[in-house]
Amino acid sequence: MKEQISALMDDDLPLENAEHVFKSIKSGGESAASWSTYHLIGDAMRGNRTLSHDFTSKVMQEISKQPTVLAPKVSKLNVKRPAVWSVAASVAAFMVVGFMTLQHQAQNTVMAPVEMAKNTPDEYLLAHQSMSPINTAYLIETASLDQGRE
Amino acid sequence: MKRIALALSFLLWSAAALAGQDDAWLMLEKASQAAHALSYKGIFVYQTGASSKSVQVTHMNYGQGEYSRMVVLDGSPREALSQGNDMVIFNPRNEKVVIEKKRGQSMFPALLPDNMELIKTVYQAQLGGEERVGGRDGYVVNLSPKDQYRYGYKLWTDKEYGLLLKSMMIGDKNVALDQIAFSQILLMDGQSMDWFRPTLDKTKAYVMEKDAPSKLDASEIDWDVTKLPNGYRKVDQVKRMVANKQTPVTQLIFSDGLSSVSVFIEDIPKGVRPKVGHTMMGATHFYAIVNDAHQVIAVGEVPEVTVTYFANAVSFKNKSK
Repeated sequence: MKEQISALMDDDLPLENAEHVFKSIKSGGESAASWSTYHLIGDAMRGNRTLSHDFTSKVMQEISKQPTVLAPKVSKLNVKRPAVWSVAASVAAFMVVGFMTLQHQAQNTVMAPVEMAKNTPDEYLLAHQSMSPINTAYLIETASLDQGRE
Repeated sequence: MKRIALALSFLLWSAAALAGQDDAWLMLEKASQAAHALSYKGIFVYQTGASSKSVQVTHMNYGQGEYSRMVVLDGSPREALSQGNDMVIFNPRNEKVVIEKKRGQSMFPALLPDNMELIKTVYQAQLGGEERVGGRDGYVVNLSPKDQYRYGYKLWTDKEYGLLLKSMMIGDKNVALDQIAFSQILLMDGQSMDWFRPTLDKTKAYVMEKDAPSKLDASEIDWDVTKLPNGYRKVDQVKRMVANKQTPVTQLIFSDGLSSVSVFIEDIPKGVRPKVGHTMMGATHFYAIVNDAHQVIAVGEVPEVTVTYFANAVSFKNKSK
């Protein structure tokens, strides 16, 4: 069922085939918990934690309205769909990344790495040249890097 | 008969080529010895990227030992005095002059190792004609790497004295990465040691370097570096401070006799985002990874593949860190 909830959020499961998923979510239990958790993770990843409670209940409200949406009135479906499902799809996109990152952090408590190229590592160049067997460069070139240091 | 003549001429040709290699190595050996044995005074220019600086060097050997003094002539007036294997660097920083002690390191023109066998396995030497440098006639020796883990060098040695006159590091597509060359060089007579003292700036305080690198205890070693690229050996390992960091890092230094790579290993403090990926500055490549909750950074004037190789060669013994 979890996979199907995920597929639904991803827009991979056609709405007209999803009636059982909605029923399952509405009936509470594990499916409802998964639905809620996926949205919470997505929210957390985007940093809008304050929104999450309202947001989840809002989504749940929308879901409780769904049976009417699934009724033959196609025009109504087209009106509702963009509002709810574009949100669901974007949450799903964050979900996979979010899960992996959270699990990784839980394992070794290392923060997300940053590309070294963004901040030129002068301090390591200086340290390398100061210990290099041939240290002409340390005497000459790194003098400029070294200015202002104590 | 024709075939024999051909075979003979090929043999002669290859013998000449081999002799050319032998001659090239002999010249490098001579250059290595001359840098230590001769007494000379000159000015050399170091160029890398857009920067270019001149250095005055005085070197003397008169039986009791080797003494030298180098003064950077452009920008900050750093200088280095050395006696045998010991070197002291006077490094002006703001209102102070910081004195750093070094051991076993060398500078131009003493770039080549004493024992050529070390580099023969990973570089190929070939004579490359004659060229004049700093008013001296010289021979050109091309040192090409035998694999992709190091750069090549083009070296000029003095025809008469054997001394290294110029060195150029050659990267991919034959691009010069940096260059050191004498613009003026003279042999010195006499035994006066008047020159062997630093220029003192009385307005500044002279202080010893704080937190100089120190030896590692065996108990502090929880890493292992196995499978190095061919020709590289570990020449030192220290615990040291790095600018802008609160706790010491481990630095391992590897060398193939000419090229060198440092590997930095450190814990990742809470709240600090580790570095990953590759970058470069001039001829220096950097590669950072996170391995087993440690930050590992390899730095060297070597190709990108080499720093990548070294960073990945580190493994950790205690998984329970």
